[in-house]
Amino acid sequence: MIQALAFYMFAFMTIASAILVISSRNPVHSVLFLILAFFNAAGLFVLLGAEFLAMILVVVYVGAVAVLFMFVVMMLDINFVEMRQGFLQYLPIGGLVGLILASELLTLAGSWIISPDASRVGAAPIPDGVTNTHALGQVLYTDYLYLFEAAGMILLVAMIGAIVLTHRRRTGVRKQVIADQLARHPADTIELRKVDSGRGI
Amino acid sequence: MVDFWFNYIWPVAWIVIKIVAIVIPVMLSVAYLTLAERKIIGGMQLRKGPNIVGPFGLLQPIADGLKLFLKETIIPSGASRGVFILAPCVTFVLALVAWSVIPFGDGMVLADINVGILFLFAISSLGVYGILMAGWASNSMYAFLGALRSAAQMVSYELAMGFIIITVLMCVGSLNLTDIVMAQKGEYGMLNWFGVLMFPMAVIFFISTLAETNRHPFDMPEAEAELVAGYNVEYSAMAFALFFLGEYANMILMSGMTSVLFLGGWLPPVDIAPFNMIPGPIWFAAKIAFCLFIFIWVRATFPRYRYDQLMRLGWKVFLPLSLAAVVIVASVLVAFDLAPQV
Amino acid sequence: MPLSEMPNLVPALPELFLAVAILALLMIGVFLKSDTADNAMRTSRQIWMLSILTLVLTALLVLTVSGERLYTFNGMFVTDQFAVFMKILILGGAGLTLLISRDYLEMNSMGRFEYGILCIFATLGMLMMVSANDLISLYVGLEMQSLSLYVLAAFRRDEQRSTEAGLKYFVLGALASGMLLYGSSLIYGFSGTTNFTVMAEMFAHGGDYAPSLGVIIGIVFILAGLAFKVSAVPFHMWTPDVYEGAPTPVTAFFAVAPKIAGLALFLRVMTGPFGDLVDQWQQIIVFVSIASMVLGAFAAINQTNIKRMMAYSSIGHVGYALIGLAVGTETGVYGVLVYLGIYMFMTVGTFACILCMRRGERMVEDISDLAGLSKSQPLLAMALTIFMFSMAGIPPLAGFFGKFYVFMAAVEAQLYGLAVIGLVTSVVGAFYYLRIIRVVYFDEAGDPFDKAVSRPIAFVVTLSAAIMVFFILYPALLLDPAAAAASALFGG
Repeated sequence: MIQALAFYMFAFMTIASAILVISSRNPVHSVLFLILAFFNAAGLFVLLGAEFLAMILVVVYVGAVAVLFMFVVMMLDINFVEMRQGFLQYLPIGGLVGLILASELLTLAGSWIISPDASRVGAAPIPDGVTNTHALGQVLYTDYLYLFEAAGMILLVAMIGAIVLTHRRRTGVRKQVIADQLARHPADTIELRKVDSGRGI
Repeated sequence: MVDFWFNYIWPVAWIVIKIVAIVIPVMLSVAYLTLAERKIIGGMQLRKGPNIVGPFGLLQPIADGLKLFLKETIIPSGASRGVFILAPCVTFVLALVAWSVIPFGDGMVLADINVGILFLFAISSLGVYGILMAGWASNSMYAFLGALRSAAQMVSYELAMGFIIITVLMCVGSLNLTDIVMAQKGEYGMLNWFGVLMFPMAVIFFISTLAETNRHPFDMPEAEAELVAGYNVEYSAMAFALFFLGEYANMILMSGMTSVLFLGGWLPPVDIAPFNMIPGPIWFAAKIAFCLFIFIWVRATFPRYRYDQLMRLGWKVFLPLSLAAVVIVASVLVAFDLAPQV
Repeated sequence: MPLSEMPNLVPALPELFLAVAILALLMIGVFLKSDTADNAMRTSRQIWMLSILTLVLTALLVLTVSGERLYTFNGMFVTDQFAVFMKILILGGAGLTLLISRDYLEMNSMGRFEYGILCIFATLGMLMMVSANDLISLYVGLEMQSLSLYVLAAFRRDEQRSTEAGLKYFVLGALASGMLLYGSSLIYGFSGTTNFTVMAEMFAHGGDYAPSLGVIIGIVFILAGLAFKVSAVPFHMWTPDVYEGAPTPVTAFFAVAPKIAGLALFLRVMTGPFGDLVDQWQQIIVFVSIASMVLGAFAAINQTNIKRMMAYSSIGHVGYALIGLAVGTETGVYGVLVYLGIYMFMTVGTFACILCMRRGERMVEDISDLAGLSKSQPLLAMALTIFMFSMAGIPPLAGFFGKFYVFMAAVEAQLYGLAVIGLVTSVVGAFYYLRIIRVVYFDEAGDPFDKAVSRPIAFVVTLSAAIMVFFILYPALLLDPAAAAASALFGG
């Protein structure tokens, strides 16, 4: 019963905060609700027995991605009234996309009814006796090694791309070179001079 | 009815009792941590520190708390009210929630979950939200700047922390905190602790926790000389107290994490007669106190980092070093066939 | 993982080498001095040279690994005669376009070493696409290629047109990837596997599962995603803008390597796992092919910008190549392979000529700027004429044979309509190709182009033109490997 209660709480909160993401007037509030939605989704993962996925969801999406969202949104200077103006104009398109998405989801859900055999092939249960972190690791670095490495390369491309498109070497900045600072010796820079009174150097 | 009592009410009540048993000591230690901090820094600077309220100033934290409790909470007129109030609550709650997976002794843990270390890591990475929300909701540029600095800083140092945690996890073969502590148990006592075996990683980890908790010498968000008091400049009374409590509870939590990962948790340093008779929680508390002492010691000794230097340290020094640590540890484990067989 | 459990790395040797070489080049590029403009230029030139060397070495590795069909990485990666053929084409196209890119980059202060690295990164993605034997590895390869290409399109980041091209390509490309992923998820949902081999058995006539509606919808989505990547109508809208906006060497790269890789993927996916569902997808391919040919022929007529014209021309070429796939037989695939081999050299040569269109150190891109080329640079004019005749498909140049084989395959499969429409659009296409020749030879001469043609460009132009002309003498050099590759695809 407690599990069912927890499920309904998480599910309700996920949906409610998801609705608030799109309906709240202030983008910062939207991001905060988005975070709440992620959080509750993580809770649902825990209930499914996928605790590793749940924690990764929190660490990656809430702890890193959403922080960057917040960063950007907080610094934006948006005129909210203006932003709302196109609402009615775009409503038909938005509604259409929503409709397509809904029908696609229905197709997916309906698939189990249309071809009941499919579920037999698709099921890949967590092996008994190991935690799901362990089970994930066992396939990730053996069966899916190729994809794992390839995904790493893709992230590298993304990183190179970001640097190529944004990094600028500015001229005229005086960079701190720690090694030079550490290598400096008092003898190199300080000179003791005997100064005759009234003469100066 | 009896069934209902034993199946639902009693377990819940038992959990509540356990939670209280964890929260009260944590809160008390926070209170006395502030006193300890002032006393130790006082000692290091050849001052006395607080000594008026109560014997040796022992009642000082109580007096401070009472003062904050009785003052009026001021909400700036331009502030975003809901978020403004939510921010300290988030900080405070997160600092407490993380304690649920910390093992105080063998089996003495509220929730012995499989992914304990990930949970801790996740919760500590959420800490940034309290600060960001506070900075944004205050509608003050000092607060906002402090919040931005802090967010950037915490995200930067989390990477190094994550990699160091991975080195430990590779040696343990489990993400469970109790397993991590038990992996450090051996006939050589403290020589089996990861803090000794992997000393450089422990140092990097500890420095990263300093940055993660926004403590000296990385207390950029609060740099009083530049930003008045950083993200919490607009907070007063209880709201401020919640931030304060959350921050210090986080310090204790990070010390606890360091103890679990590197200092053998509740294990005695030497597994012989007088030492192993002392119960585990006491050892654990002693190790936390040791880490906290270093926290305070660092504060008394080091000047504050400049912001670009802080970023440089995080991205250009710690990140490559910790990555190298992962590679080295993994190579050693594979080369000498030491990897835990799970 | 004990060493005994290591997957067999030999089939993937070229990819592994390329990946490691990329990392090495990246390190070299970062650690070489690029503090001043001169140093940056020198670094980028060194990396450019090393990138080409890497591609050549990879091609050699591909040839040594060649042979029978091998699977590795848990069946996600496959190499066979078909993959070898395609990889050689891709590596050749990438290498040649990289070769002609140097002067443009240096002249437009784009001399940053990441260019070459991104190019070979994209090439790595393409090689992975060609060898994909699993929906996920297909997607991963495709994404690696696409991400590099998005960045390359926006490489001239200070120029508005270039960044616009990059952004446009990125947004639409992401949409296409989304469609592909959705199709993949449908297929996985209905078949329970992502592996092509297993899928092929499952969908084979007399197999366990009749193709359900979901699978067919999934195939349609995958087709849409792939059609976008090769810019086939109706998913071509990005092509003209991106081709026009991107820096010219990047456009050349876009027009060659990704097209070949995308078509390779088309062939692999449609004849492999869905080979026995040919009745389900044939009409779609026929439609896409006809639409591409028609649009490519008619929309190009009005263009004044030569890069835009090439964009429409490439859409048309994809249409012709897809005829071979629409046929769905070994002869059809054979036609596509021959077509792609010739298309590669033809396009690279044309773009090398376009890169010579400089006046006073500035690039010009209008077709009318070509006026008087025959007087100022007769050799270049002749080469351009050869390429244009070849593109129009006029015998005895190579371009004719490319079209000939796909049309023959269509006729053989009794798809007469397809062949006839192909012929008609070829004639229409010939109009605008010949218009360029008219401008070159008969229009009033404007200011002459800068005379200096650098050695790499001269080399590429000569090589491609020679291949166009002399293909008829030694056709077996291309035809035999193509035949072997086509039969390998059909389990030969």
